[in-house]
Amino acid sequence: MSLNKIEAARGWRIRSTQDLGAGLFMIALAALALFLSSDLSPGTLRQIGPGMLPKAFAWICAGLGALLAFNSLRYNGEKLSGWSWRGVIFVLGAAVVFGLTVRGFEIGPLKVPQLGMLVSGPLVVIISGLAAEDVKLKELLIFAAVMTTGCALLFKYALGLPIPLAPWLLGI
Amino acid sequence: MSEMFANLALGFGVALTLKNIALCFTGCLVGTLIGVLPGVGPIATIAMLLPITFGLDPVGALIMLAGIYYGAQYGGSTTAILVNIPGEATSVVTTLDGHQMAKQGRAGVALGTAALASFFAGTVATMVIAALGAPLTKLALLFGPAEYFSLMVMGLCFAVVLARGSILKAFCMIMLGLLLSTVGTDLETGQERMTFGFPPLSDGIDFAVLAMGVFGFAEVLRNLENPETRDVVRTKIGRLLPNWDDIKQSIAPVLRGTSVGAILGILPGNGAVLGPFASYTIEKKIAKDPSRFGKGAIEGVAGPEAANNAGAQTAFIPLLTLGIPPNAVMALMVGAMTIHGIIPGPQVMTKNPDLFWGMIASMWIGNLMLLVINLPLVGVWVKLLQVPYRLMFPAILIFCSIGIYSVNNQPVDVAFTALFGLFGYLLIKLGFEPAPMLLGFVLGKLMEEKLRQALIISRGSFLTFIERPISAGLLLVAVAILVIALLPSMSKKREEVFTE
Repeated sequence: MSLNKIEAARGWRIRSTQDLGAGLFMIALAALALFLSSDLSPGTLRQIGPGMLPKAFAWICAGLGALLAFNSLRYNGEKLSGWSWRGVIFVLGAAVVFGLTVRGFEIGPLKVPQLGMLVSGPLVVIISGLAAEDVKLKELLIFAAVMTTGCALLFKYALGLPIPLAPWLLGI
Repeated sequence: MSEMFANLALGFGVALTLKNIALCFTGCLVGTLIGVLPGVGPIATIAMLLPITFGLDPVGALIMLAGIYYGAQYGGSTTAILVNIPGEATSVVTTLDGHQMAKQGRAGVALGTAALASFFAGTVATMVIAALGAPLTKLALLFGPAEYFSLMVMGLCFAVVLARGSILKAFCMIMLGLLLSTVGTDLETGQERMTFGFPPLSDGIDFAVLAMGVFGFAEVLRNLENPETRDVVRTKIGRLLPNWDDIKQSIAPVLRGTSVGAILGILPGNGAVLGPFASYTIEKKIAKDPSRFGKGAIEGVAGPEAANNAGAQTAFIPLLTLGIPPNAVMALMVGAMTIHGIIPGPQVMTKNPDLFWGMIASMWIGNLMLLVINLPLVGVWVKLLQVPYRLMFPAILIFCSIGIYSVNNQPVDVAFTALFGLFGYLLIKLGFEPAPMLLGFVLGKLMEEKLRQALIISRGSFLTFIERPISAGLLLVAVAILVIALLPSMSKKREEVFTE
């Protein structure tokens, strides 16, 4: 009896949620890419157009994704593990806050002035620091001050990069 | 031969100016400083430190980057020995015997041996690069678009086979990288591709944004989730210099490791990653008493460390001569060079000989500096290893944020990076190893360009890739390696190698 028959005899069921998820993820990304590149002309082999490669890569991605999903029904593998929202929200949120505040922004009625690195820096450190399970607030505050000073000296003065420090206070 | 020495002399002339020595020194120092932190591998280290080279001239920036690269590599070994956490695939082997030596109170000897072995391997590898650089660059000039395309296909096939974990998933990552590389304005027609009509995307996805998102932010998220058990060595570091017996035991392994590592590193796939594994296996096979391995055998540190460093350095050969990065770290170097306006490839050596040879000379100086600064500073590194992760990642974050902002002075880039961080975290959750994606991303644009050129020349016939002998040979190797890797017996062996 061939190996395939043994597998088939055991029946089809989801044996690895991680691989199934990975396969579906690849297919979804490929579908998105195919949708976005639908109006691009593929051209001919003699004169390849802008759409040829994105579409070709997307189809290959979809094929690989289908294979992954298919295999997840046949071979045992890892399960999907939990998703840590705490890390995602604080760590990535901190970076977004930095991006929004360092030079200011305007979205509709919401308006934030250019706060500069002396404000955005500590914000990043403190917000992201909250992601740790064993966070110690006092330590974090001191660390934020030290890191910001260090980074200001390094990036602004030692390396001379044009990053605003605190335009609202110092004018630089 | 004399040409090689003349070139090296030119290189040393460039590298030995006071400014460039200082840059090399700083690069090595900060590279080690960041690379030694547990959970921060060489890719993350280089991605994070890229911005500090922005204000420099191209030569200085590259010299500093090379220093950062060696520092990061060496820092990884230090962490492997002292904490039993490998910073990346190539230092996995060092944890086996290195950490055992440390537990027996011989941490200093393990570190010293690793440093000396690395220095020796680095010296040899620098000579190899200097000797092969010129002839290989001439060879590269024979390459037409078809050959370049096939070479990149081969490189990517190697990367798939040599990646950690499932081959299918590594393949997915490469293709995803290639797909991401097509985002942005089409070079020939000027049409926008897959940009959502969003202006910042019309230049394509920024390399630094992708790298820092996936390797900086997503790594932080991964590490936060698995609170590492840090097994920092509590015993004394002990004396650093190996004694006569240690040296006698390590000399042959170092020589073997250097040659194995240097040869594997030249492969235009991720050959360097195999070096330490191969060296360890060889040493274990030919040892009189193989049972000592895994219990603190000095050969198990000396050989793989030499192979690691030799490979890390000869991996520059495909990059400098052909312009094709063999692995994710070299892909980062390409990104860094492009930011400084240098397109890696055979033209670098002819157009900017001072840059090319200066960098090669500084490789050797960098290796020497690692030896000089690292051994006396071991105490500092041990202190650094005790920094808790709750302080480490906010520091990584502020550094990355300022860094990304500085690439284009675009605040929106920082938010983008956070998005890629989320993307990277999702990939990790789905069991993907993102390193091959970076390689695919960097090679993608070049591949598309060469494919188009080749097909225009051949008037739309795909046969051009098999009709031209060099191209056909390269594709044949690519197919062969994939077939071999997919054979059931080999895939089992491959698993063994990567789990050992």
